[in-house]
Amino acid sequence: MYKYDHIDQTLVDQRVTQFRDQVERRLNGTLAEEEFRPLRLQNGLYHQRHAYMLRVAIPYGLLSSRQLRTLAFIADKYDRGYGHFTTRQNIQFNWVELEQTPDILAELAKVEMHAIQTSGNCIRNITSDAFAGVAADEYVDPRPICELLRQWSTLHPEFAHLPRKFKFAINGAKEDRTVLLCHDVGIELQKNPNINNGELTANIYAGGGMGRTPILGSLIKKDVPWQVLPSYLTALLRVYNRFGRRDNLYKARIKILVKALGPEEFARQVEGEWTQLHNATKQGKDNFSQAEWERVAKHFTKPSYKTLPALSDEQLQSHAESRLDANEKIAFTRWLERNVRPHQVPGYAPVILSLKPHGTAAPGDATSAQMNAIADLADQYSFGELRVTHEQNLVLADVEQAELLNLWRAAKNYNLVLPNIGLLTDIIACPGGDFCSLANAKSLPIAKAIQERFDDLDYLHDLGDITLNISGCINSCGHHHVGNIGVLGVDKDGEEWYQITLGGDQGNDASIGKVIGPSFYANEIPDVMTSIINTYVEQRSTDEPFIETYRRLGVIPFKEAAYKNNGKHSKGAAV
Amino acid sequence: MNQKIIYYPKDGKPNLIANEWQVWDGERDEGGIPDLEHGFHKVLVPFHWWITRYKNADIIERANKGEIGVWFAADDDILKHSEIIEEGKSFWPVIGAHFPIFRDGRSFSTAALLRDRFEWQGEVRAIGDVLIDQLLQGARVGFDAFELRPDQNLDIALKQFDLFSVVTQNSWRDQRATIA
Ligand code: HEM
Ligand code: SF4
Repeated sequence: MYKYDHIDQTLVDQRVTQFRDQVERRLNGTLAEEEFRPLRLQNGLYHQRHAYMLRVAIPYGLLSSRQLRTLAFIADKYDRGYGHFTTRQNIQFNWVELEQTPDILAELAKVEMHAIQTSGNCIRNITSDAFAGVAADEYVDPRPICELLRQWSTLHPEFAHLPRKFKFAINGAKEDRTVLLCHDVGIELQKNPNINNGELTANIYAGGGMGRTPILGSLIKKDVPWQVLPSYLTALLRVYNRFGRRDNLYKARIKILVKALGPEEFARQVEGEWTQLHNATKQGKDNFSQAEWERVAKHFTKPSYKTLPALSDEQLQSHAESRLDANEKIAFTRWLERNVRPHQVPGYAPVILSLKPHGTAAPGDATSAQMNAIADLADQYSFGELRVTHEQNLVLADVEQAELLNLWRAAKNYNLVLPNIGLLTDIIACPGGDFCSLANAKSLPIAKAIQERFDDLDYLHDLGDITLNISGCINSCGHHHVGNIGVLGVDKDGEEWYQITLGGDQGNDASIGKVIGPSFYANEIPDVMTSIINTYVEQRSTDEPFIETYRRLGVIPFKEAAYKNNGKHSKGAAV
Repeated sequence: MNQKIIYYPKDGKPNLIANEWQVWDGERDEGGIPDLEHGFHKVLVPFHWWITRYKNADIIERANKGEIGVWFAADDDILKHSEIIEEGKSFWPVIGAHFPIFRDGRSFSTAALLRDRFEWQGEVRAIGDVLIDQLLQGARVGFDAFELRPDQNLDIALKQFDLFSVVTQNSWRDQRATIA
């Protein structure tokens, strides 16, 4: 776990002072609201439907138990006893007071946390793989680069007022768990003996994003040595800052620039700028140094693992056999199957704690009691650390396999062991109309209704991997475009409607879903889901996941099924 | 316009000095640039105006006397005109870069390019919608003079530069702080 040095600490402390002064000027009226707005956004402070909302950064998803306890404390003292983990490794508090935000930031600074650049038109919190450092399929631990780039991007002066927000994701594993291609810049790390003498290099993808115009990023540069990332990324951002469109909010993202120029021309312009930066008289001064690397990387060495035998699932089950009753056995087996992942080190496993209980809380919500309990679990079972996933769950990365049963029992008391990871009810959802002032429709009741309809875990396990993502408006915070099934809230004549997309996917075969047709009323959605799922069940060949069946058959059979009862409800043309 | 500007030389301290430069928008064209005999004695002209007049002997003479500088609009592509800028460097005492609205950060990159790429050593002045909370960024990318929007409180503005004692990336003014 990264530890702040005095530079990092001084910076966040001074940032609190700066923001306190800005809030004071806002409150005494010397700073107008429209001029305060970008300043507060660069500190993660939104003004939402009911109240101010504060978004706190969890850089590359890594948290200590101590930090989590502070988040619980903040939830209790300054909010309503819970927080919402987002898809971008942040946590949001929905009910804060403007006057208190500087105090909250000061609390955060005490545990090496902040809300810097979690919003606004600047480089946002950098996200990465929640299984970084432990995933069995990892070839480079991305965290030192994440941390170096976190520092580089923090309060970067040239890029404080970009045309739009700017999101980086960094991946270093075979499987992409970061949705790399849906980011303004995706950095794919690699270590190849044939490239750069086997030193760490990066492939750079640019121009991905969701929103109104979903686009997957394009590869614009291969094999960038890690040391020169600051100058390369400066060049890239400089081109975007100068030429990104500012006349139209919807056309201001880098994806539009890359598309308008074409990826080759965009890459050429970046290259031109980079050559200048790189060859300028101060050549090399921007480069990350080996000393900086070493200072940072030493915080990401392996914890003190014991030498343990690797246990197979069968061994784990038989080990648990005598200690579980019949019902528990099924639940535990399912949990091992869905919530426990392979680890790099024999005898250990990463464990996903589900924040998607069926039908009760919003996906990604955790109460302060849960947060405190999870902090205890992290201390007891996982070296005091945990991770936040893109799918809005939490991970204990280093659990001894022999302790899995004990952990399962303990986490069960806090409703954290639902074995639905990667299944239909592991829904990604934005807060939608219940909280968000931009929403066209609610997301949370839709998620709840679907979870209630598909409450049978046997059935869900039989269905296997399916992603379902819900956004309350076209901004796509719920990533509906890359859900195998996507639900998008739309507004028609002041009424809430829902449009379905199919065939989206994240991961190595990322793709953007297709709209199937006219939108539905909220109360139709569970039936529509049932029709789509039934079509899959009827048509699948053995062991074929949903997305493959969809890719084989195309949209038509699903579409026909979705509209078969229809004609009376759904309205007009697709929006 | 503001009667005072903040002048913050690269190796000095920020302080308030009298504003000697009038920013001219190039619009009232018939009579050419404003009457320098009366009013202000020095004028920043728009770069697009300079491009079409700088062969004019009268303009050159005034520029040589230190009465004319230029300012870049946020959407001027300064790399496209690098030859004219290289030439202009020997005439201009001051270059301005304009913020049409405070949240438009293009002029940050303009200033960075003027310092990095054109190696301009003279003054770069932030003009237009310049507010207190832009000063820190501006100072780091290459601005050393700021004409704030007239409603801004200059005392509060002057205090901004002391807010941070560390930075985590290199810029025109400072190298990033490192432990090693
Ligand atoms: C209520 C508070 C929120 C507000 C006001 C908000 C606002 C927005 C806006 C305006 C966009 C559109 C950006 C664009 O198209 O360029 C956006 C995109 C996004 N937001 Fe949110 N959001 C909120 C909460 C969330 C939450 C809770 C999550 C995660 C669950 C989230 C994750 C995202 C993601 C992943 C995108 C897509 C970015 C892309 O285009 O690549 N946001 N948000
Ligand atoms: S998708 Fe729309 S409704 Fe949902 S959080 Fe984002 S902006 Fe709000």
